[in-house]
Amino acid sequence: MNMTRAEVQDAADKAFGQSDLAPDAAQSWALIAEMGWLMMGVPEELGGLGLGREAAGVIHQGVGKVLVPGPVLAQMLTIEALAAANDLPERDALIADAMAGEVMTASLAGGLDGADRLTCVPDADTASHVLHVTADRVALVPAEQFVVTYRIGWDKSRRLFDVTVEGPGLTLAEGDAACALADRIEALRLFCLAGDSLGGAEAALAMTVAYLETRQQFDRPLALFQALKHRVADMRTQLTAADALFWSRAQQADTDIIALGALKALACAVYRLVAEEAIQLHGGIGLTMEHPCHLFLKRAMLNCALGGDADHWDEQTGRAALAAAV
Amino acid sequence: MEGQALTDALDGLRQEVRQWLADNAPQGWRDRSSSESAFLQIQRDWFAKLVQGGYAVPHWPAQWPGGGRSLAEQKILYEELARADTPRLLLSFMSTYHAACTLFEWASEEQQALLIPRILAGEIWCQGFSEPNAGSDLANVRTRAERVGDTYVVNGQKLWSTMGQFADKCLLLVRTSNDGPKQAGLTYLLLDLKAPGVTARPIHQIHGDEEFAELFLDNVEIPVSDRLGEEGQGWAVAQSTLSSERGLTLLELSARLRGALWRLADLIRAQGRQEDSGIVRDFGRLSAKVDATCAVADQFLANRIAGIERVGDASIVKLSYSRTLRDFTALGLRLGGIDAQYHSPITFGGGMETGNWMADFMNSYAWTIAGGSDEVQRNIIAERLVGMPREPKSWTLKEGAA
Repeated sequence: MNMTRAEVQDAADKAFGQSDLAPDAAQSWALIAEMGWLMMGVPEELGGLGLGREAAGVIHQGVGKVLVPGPVLAQMLTIEALAAANDLPERDALIADAMAGEVMTASLAGGLDGADRLTCVPDADTASHVLHVTADRVALVPAEQFVVTYRIGWDKSRRLFDVTVEGPGLTLAEGDAACALADRIEALRLFCLAGDSLGGAEAALAMTVAYLETRQQFDRPLALFQALKHRVADMRTQLTAADALFWSRAQQADTDIIALGALKALACAVYRLVAEEAIQLHGGIGLTMEHPCHLFLKRAMLNCALGGDADHWDEQTGRAALAAAV
Repeated sequence: MEGQALTDALDGLRQEVRQWLADNAPQGWRDRSSSESAFLQIQRDWFAKLVQGGYAVPHWPAQWPGGGRSLAEQKILYEELARADTPRLLLSFMSTYHAACTLFEWASEEQQALLIPRILAGEIWCQGFSEPNAGSDLANVRTRAERVGDTYVVNGQKLWSTMGQFADKCLLLVRTSNDGPKQAGLTYLLLDLKAPGVTARPIHQIHGDEEFAELFLDNVEIPVSDRLGEEGQGWAVAQSTLSSERGLTLLELSARLRGALWRLADLIRAQGRQEDSGIVRDFGRLSAKVDATCAVADQFLANRIAGIERVGDASIVKLSYSRTLRDFTALGLRLGGIDAQYHSPITFGGGMETGNWMADFMNSYAWTIAGGSDEVQRNIIAERLVGMPREPKSWTLKEGAA
């Protein structure tokens, strides 16, 4: 762990480390802006901190750990796009607003957006702008040019909207530049979803182990039963391996989308496993709305579906590995 | 050295090793390794060559030829050996790691001066720890050593001695007392396998190889001077042996696993299944898992170098590798179809992924059982790393049970 990553980790622990699960959305958003997390990936000459992918990794693991609600991931995608829009006159003012916490959201669905319809857009109702990514153009569309429809999801930690775009918005990139930017946005989305998933898995596993150590049946803590210990050990092992891959890919500067897709699929598979096992190992209490187990399960399932699912990325990974393995 | 100077030095070493391997690595050795004698010859020749090049024992202390390499340097060496797909040093592995590292820690200077150079000359050591009733529960060793004057008279049976049938010497764990805790009655001896009363029989493994032996010890006499540590200190000495290698082998094996993905890719192509989404997805999932295993092996070594390794970290790496290897060979077997069910001759010492899929699949159990089974690793991870409570020791044999 280099100094930067350690420092960001320290800040993340201070911000949300002691927080309850699924903290208040408005307070969380204010805290995220105040901590400067939205500035992390922005180059210093644009008023940001100029930190790379590792910092984003720390933040999204931290956000995933406590199930922070809100549009932080989507906002970072928009900020990434704005940072690249060197030809846009309003850019500096817009990026300053975005870093300060004015909601500028984006789709988390994965791949390119439809010509005029976006799905899985967090907090679009409070957003001043939405990012619109198509094959030959990346645009920032102001609120007066889009209409939002709220979709009630199972995962209450993300308020998702369908968005219909009714105006051209501001051009951030066109042609080849748009293509390259779309790749960068996709890479960042995959990486951050992987981070959110690994953070969530870490927290769900810790919660489960704590429960097994506390809950007594047959005059002993459940944690004494080897059958349960071995399940914990398997989860620990898969999670540690996925986490190692996460930090190894964080250090690679390039945006090999498929490598990040493979990472996202693996991280989500581990999150899903841990979240499913968390409920099973908690027994009846895990099935109640009062207990937080279901929060992890619902966010894990949503993460699996966002950004391209495992079927998609496993196949892409397989094709790439076939081409590489000669 | 630090920063750029260190990076440059390591890059320099990588180039040096890569060039040396280009000039010296054996070619076509798998095709030649169709019999046990060919395997032994390949192993002996390659080890001698590595000794000559100064690359055989990078982990030894600097005072010995070829030693004194840092972990970062060793990592580069093993990455390059994996990249060049050289034979893994199976025959001399126990000698350069288990035997040498135990001798460095526990043997007198005279013993070291005598025994260490012989290892470089090709003397082969094996390990005599496991027994029919001492596998995962190693402290249950029953092989008995009675002291008579200046010698121990040893009787018993040892199992799963890697390369034991080809070895010259053996690291032997014996029982000298039944008093107190099981561990306290153990003593560590150095056994000359040429001594009268020693019989070594190869164990026939299910895939047709014979990489292990069982040793029968019938009134074998071992001089008291060939003891390491004090009488009753055997458990502590054995811990040195068992912890002699942690990290680099799995780093190398994971890299070799990644390097062997082409065997599966070739099969997929040969069968024209590049558009079969089911198989392509499974191959993709496996390749991500292989990458994660490489990453966790890498992270483990980095933590070791930084001095922040925790108890149980090594178990994560081993379990991650063993399960991934099983998946790898299972996918090969699936792709192999009926063809893979017809016997074809194995490659001796060909590695964990030779493309003889039924044999490879069966051989993958070597990593889920040997060196601490997956179940033992899971106990260690749950109890030592995660901190769950230890197994209670309240269970006792029923009256009259054996």
